[in-house]
Amino acid sequence: MKALLKITDAIDWCNDRLGHLVRWLVLAAVLISAGNAIMRKAFNISSNAYLEVQWYLFAAVFLLGAAYVFLHNGHVRIDFISARLSKRTNAIIDSIGIVVFLIPLCLILIDLSWPYFVRTYRSGEMSENAGGLIRWPAVLLIPVGFAILLVQAVSELIKRIAFLTGDRAEPFSYVGEKSAEEILAEELAGKRMDESPPAPPVPHAPEAR
Amino acid sequence: MLAFIAENFVPLMFCGLLFFLLTGIPVAFGLAATGLFFGYIGMEANLFPTNLFGALPLRIFGIMKNDTLLAIPFFTFMGIILERSGMAEDLLETVGQVFGPVRGGLAIAVVLVGALLAATTGVVAAAVISMGLISLPIMLRNGYNRTIATGTITASGTLAQAIPPSLVLIVLADQLGRSVGDMYAGALVPGLLLVGLYLAFVVAVAVVRPKWVPALPMEARIYRESNGASGHISLIVLLTICALAGVTWSHYHQSIINPMIGRGLPAAGDEIFIMSMTVASFLALALAGINRLFRLGLMSRLAERVTFVLIPPLVLIFLVLGTIFLGIATPTEGGAMGALGALIMATLRRALTFSLLGQALDNTVKLATFVLFILIGSTVFSFTFNAADGHVWVEQLFAKLPGGQIGFLIVVNLLVFVLGMFIDFFEIAFIVIPILAPVADKMGIDLVWFGVILAMNLQTSFLTPPFGFALFYLRSVAPKTDYRDRITNKMIPAITTGQIYKGSIAFIVLQLIMVAVVVLNPELVSGNINKGVKINAEEALQELRDAGRSAREQREPSAPSGSASAPAAADPMQQLLDAMKREEDQKK
Repeated sequence: MKALLKITDAIDWCNDRLGHLVRWLVLAAVLISAGNAIMRKAFNISSNAYLEVQWYLFAAVFLLGAAYVFLHNGHVRIDFISARLSKRTNAIIDSIGIVVFLIPLCLILIDLSWPYFVRTYRSGEMSENAGGLIRWPAVLLIPVGFAILLVQAVSELIKRIAFLTGDRAEPFSYVGEKSAEEILAEELAGKRMDESPPAPPVPHAPEAR
Repeated sequence: MLAFIAENFVPLMFCGLLFFLLTGIPVAFGLAATGLFFGYIGMEANLFPTNLFGALPLRIFGIMKNDTLLAIPFFTFMGIILERSGMAEDLLETVGQVFGPVRGGLAIAVVLVGALLAATTGVVAAAVISMGLISLPIMLRNGYNRTIATGTITASGTLAQAIPPSLVLIVLADQLGRSVGDMYAGALVPGLLLVGLYLAFVVAVAVVRPKWVPALPMEARIYRESNGASGHISLIVLLTICALAGVTWSHYHQSIINPMIGRGLPAAGDEIFIMSMTVASFLALALAGINRLFRLGLMSRLAERVTFVLIPPLVLIFLVLGTIFLGIATPTEGGAMGALGALIMATLRRALTFSLLGQALDNTVKLATFVLFILIGSTVFSFTFNAADGHVWVEQLFAKLPGGQIGFLIVVNLLVFVLGMFIDFFEIAFIVIPILAPVADKMGIDLVWFGVILAMNLQTSFLTPPFGFALFYLRSVAPKTDYRDRITNKMIPAITTGQIYKGSIAFIVLQLIMVAVVVLNPELVSGNINKGVKINAEEALQELRDAGRSAREQREPSAPSGSASAPAAADPMQQLLDAMKREEDQKK
């Protein structure tokens, strides 16, 4: 079990790094999109390459970031029943879900999308838009993204099992992370200490927007 | 056994979905699991071909390519940067000072700021938290009725769902196959009407129960002149001047803008409205700037403060909604421009730090990823669902309903209302809407109208127990214990959870009234869509031109794209388009 937990630590570390990297792609997409819009209107310069690179970047964000979000337990759950169950029961449900659903899902999608990538790579397929980009890097994101998610699923499975066997204190790597709302509430409360009572922490509810 | 499965495939699939989702595994994976699980059962039972999922990678690629969905990270990022830039605090304080001296004024300020935040940040949680921490203590200090105070705050926070640029409208537009621009244009009037309804309610309370919503006492008014005047007269004068300028602009808008962007069609009403607002607000900013620069003393402190606080969000609204309605930018580009504007605004306010930028990007990655994965999951689900002719089953289910369109809409709204009590709008939009949209379309229901009704309805999901998130967020920041007010030194009792729940009831009723009004008056939505169609026609023409251009480029691959536009005039397609344009002009 110790060796397995070492492996999960390594996987978690890698995906955490990856998550920190892909966040900058969001900023790049924002700047390219805004820049392109301004250039198109002001100087009538535009290229489909700029339009396409935006969604290449965003696709990279959510496909490569999926494992990171899973690591931080950021994929929403409908939790009004699971919130009433014990941590143990939830860990068992999660393990079953990972083994029976998530791992097969990743395998099937990798299996289906790899030939698609090989096809576009061999043919050197280009975008159907004039001045567009070559297609295979975007297609490659699908098998790569699900492979990374698969690796993270294994890591999460080990953590749940380690929790059930008592080798780990928590089933998740990140517990009680501050949400954007909590940080905002703390900041506002800090500024207004002199006027209002101290604000208690906001409950963690990632699905509320 | 197999026969039973084959006969009841779709209902079994729904039960399976319900079961998997309720186990609490991530929604995205539960959806995909249901699709795969039933897909393979169907293959075993020889209901489906064995290559059922063969096209799945192509569909995922389609999601990646989807330009509309790009707006989700852009607007999310913009919202997070703005909510942390201190804009909401300044707005609440200043607008509270403007309306505070009249009865119900603080509540009016909360509604108005809620609407402004809705049109800029679009984040319910942030609006409720800011108002709960800033406005609620002031309301309590001045003896506001607790039910009214909490209700106004939670309800105003949820305005972000119904007023563009909300994420709900983007997701609904994508799922209904309509353009985001149309959805925004359609939602604008109903959204503003809802704000009006809230305001009317507050005013009614102020008239019937004046003690529930007292005015701010003299000593609580911050921006007083040296001679003791409140400065309101100066503010009113300024507003009158700017309003006159705006109205004047609205009369000449068409003759100024049309030659500028080379358009022959008449301008849409929402475009004129937004541009006139922009002219008025820039005039106010210029006047206030001149007043301060030369120390003229012509404006009261209140008027000056209002101008400087109110203009940045108004400019941002123009930047985003204005460019989208004008057709200068697509909603995706509008989102990017808004995000850039938010970054600039936060920098000017000295609120932008490296850690804030990192947090905002991180939150954007998390939100966008879970939303896109729910979409991928629901795509897998829809493969099996469509293979099993699920739409036919759903259609038959609704065919038995009496009442035609209205009957259908009532049932759908009840369904969404009840589902909204338990699950998040992203799940509703990705699971329920794709199932209902084809039925609605077949019944002849305009899908933009349908989408706006649903967006209005989904708003209530934030206010309805047991899982009303606006209620949760207010609960988390409202005082849980009795406390001594620092300014009046009086003990103020805690806010009970019951008071928060009770406060939302009146506003849920108001929202449902608004849903009913939109159901009964489709022209509230379509009044703008008809103009939208005109803009669309123009876009379509533009697309035709582009298509012709790129076709030419393909024929002559050596020609750079820039020079290709020059010979466009000689193109027969172009002549046809010009002729159409001339006809349009003559019609006017």
